[in-house]
Amino acid sequence: MNNGTLLAVDNLSVHFFTEDGLAKAVQGVSFAIQEGKTFALVGESGCGKSVTALSIMRLVPDPPGKIVSGRMKFKDENILDLTEKQMRQIRGNQIAMIFQEPMTSLNPVFTVGDQIAEAIKLHQKKDSEQAWADSVEMLKGVGIGDAERRVYEYPHQMSGGMRQRVMIAMAVSCQPDLIIADEPTTALDVTIQAQILDLLDELQRQNGMSVLLITHDLGVVAERADDVAVMYASRIAEKAEAKSLFQNPLHPYTQGLLKSVPQLGFEGERLATIPGIVPDPLHFPSGCKFHPRCPVGGKDKRCQMVEPELREAQTGRHVACWYAPGYETKQEREEYESKYKQ
Amino acid sequence: MIIMAEKTAQQKSWGVSYGEMVRREFAKNKLNVVSLVLIIILFALAVFAPFLANDKPFMIRLDGKLIFPLFASLKASDYSILLAAAIGIWQLILIRRNRRNIEPSIRGHVLSRQLLINASILVAGSVLLYVFVPRRLDATGYRELISSGRASDAIFAPIPYGYARTELEVREQPPGKEHWLGTDDVGSDVLCRLIYGSRISLSVGFVAVGISSLVGIAIGSVLGYFGGKVDFIGMRFVEIMMAIPVFFLIITIVAYWERSLFNIMIIIGLTTWTGNARFIRAEFFKLRNQDFVQAAVSLGLPLRSILFRHMLPNGVAPVLVNATFGIAGAIFIEAALSFLGFGVAPPTPSWGQMLSLGVSTTGRFLWWLTLFPGVAIFLTVLAYNLVGEGLRDAIDPRLRKAA
Repeated sequence: MNNGTLLAVDNLSVHFFTEDGLAKAVQGVSFAIQEGKTFALVGESGCGKSVTALSIMRLVPDPPGKIVSGRMKFKDENILDLTEKQMRQIRGNQIAMIFQEPMTSLNPVFTVGDQIAEAIKLHQKKDSEQAWADSVEMLKGVGIGDAERRVYEYPHQMSGGMRQRVMIAMAVSCQPDLIIADEPTTALDVTIQAQILDLLDELQRQNGMSVLLITHDLGVVAERADDVAVMYASRIAEKAEAKSLFQNPLHPYTQGLLKSVPQLGFEGERLATIPGIVPDPLHFPSGCKFHPRCPVGGKDKRCQMVEPELREAQTGRHVACWYAPGYETKQEREEYESKYKQ
Repeated sequence: MIIMAEKTAQQKSWGVSYGEMVRREFAKNKLNVVSLVLIIILFALAVFAPFLANDKPFMIRLDGKLIFPLFASLKASDYSILLAAAIGIWQLILIRRNRRNIEPSIRGHVLSRQLLINASILVAGSVLLYVFVPRRLDATGYRELISSGRASDAIFAPIPYGYARTELEVREQPPGKEHWLGTDDVGSDVLCRLIYGSRISLSVGFVAVGISSLVGIAIGSVLGYFGGKVDFIGMRFVEIMMAIPVFFLIITIVAYWERSLFNIMIIIGLTTWTGNARFIRAEFFKLRNQDFVQAAVSLGLPLRSILFRHMLPNGVAPVLVNATFGIAGAIFIEAALSFLGFGVAPPTPSWGQMLSLGVSTTGRFLWWLTLFPGVAIFLTVLAYNLVGEGLRDAIDPRLRKAA
């Protein structure tokens, strides 16, 4: 598998102009997804990861949302420069999306076959009969038994796991290059979760597609992702290869997240939590947005006043924290010593 | 037998569609079914009116020759209505058969082909009928011929009077053996005029509501989907339309224009769409943020498909319900207009117009001219309202047991 970059998001900012004020949902987010790899975007709810995903599809609800800056290079084009018509050619055909809620993501008035076939008809220019034959194949491909019969069923006749399989079948039906999976397993119970993720893995290997996995489940990330970006309050806090990030988290937020994952065989202790709550995007704290909850730099004047940008602290390790080893420049260190240290 | 069993097993596996579920729920209430049957009977009366009430006999032996004056006197429009009814029933049978025999994958395709064929048969047939059916005015008094002995062996319709008959010697007669529901101020049979009047009421109801639904859906869906400025400007326009008292607008327009059924239908349709537009807009607002609409957009489907294939079927229920109430309302408006003398011009019969004859020029109160058309209007409007309510309850998911 070659290692070209499929999608490069550069300095993406999305703002929501709400009645209560300006909400900066995504600020200066940059990352790259390699061909055939899985990129995970991790974070608590409300941190901007879903908005980032919607921006890639250009589906941010407008108004009130607006992509205010950034570039998204998909293959050789900047997604943000495309017309709506060109965008429709990309949606479903080259980038497809799997939604969080399988119970509501399928249209209740059509059979599942209808819904898969419509996309195939549109993007692959096939006639009805062939599109339906393809839908049966797709359903078989996602492990739905008795697909010839199931294809005629309505969504309400299927279980949640089945519906998510149908959603995946819809997403992969036109062999897209990139699949955006927005918390694909959150609404499913644990035994089904693993099956769905295995299925995604398998389809990814078969078709050589890339996956942007959006999740708050670190267990899922550790197992499946090649690269990880941790988002906190509209910005990327840390970005690295999955393995090194899990072995040696640099950002205090990532460290906190990893500590709060329950582990088998650990008894007696209370599970660690990160104190406080995710800040409201209408009223972000000054300086580093994590400082009110940060065990390391919470009382530090500089953390309270100056927001650290994302930069490569160590080889292959991007992080946005003044305390991360290798982050500060010499000049900044000196400035800190003279200006902020009591 | 084995093949049969396999087939039924397969039918079951095709799944129960939303429409099927609504139908079953609707049929649970007997009152709904009764109302629906009443409406179907009304339809049958309207379609077969010339065969139920006609002053020309089906067949008669005149001067030793067998002739068929009723069929000869039917106008092209009568034949077109019969043709339309026949094709409509045939299409319903076809849809039933499709559900049983045709795979759902190609069912939509087959259905659209059937609709296209039937619609073109209807159009072509109507054109041919208008070209080839002669316009004949048959003013022969067949009953006088019988009594004078020139004709015999006549078979008349159950009500052997025409709706435009003037027979002043039998005017203003109360219900009796000869005229079951009496006669009006020019001696026309009331029952006959009631039957023909159902044609006016039904066509006004359906055409006006058809226009108002189409306009309402088109405007409401655009406002609801796009929202924002489009919605703001559009809704102000809708509100202006709603602020106008529709009935007086209609009276004004009708007073200026020519009194024709066609005008009344269009005016009612073009002034009552605001409710539909608001329903559809509200539904689309709700649907726009639903996951399956987002999913449809994320599949790159064109706007047309998203609006009318994915959103409309999910949001059309309130408009359908409103349409049944709208039919009742349109029938009512037409009756009121005719009552006030702004409706269709006599001798074309209309229920409202008959009602207005209840107080005769001589000042006598002719109760049969008020009661029977009044009951007809009442029952029709009631039946449509009950069907509408039944439909609403069947569609309302809160009342339906969880699937």
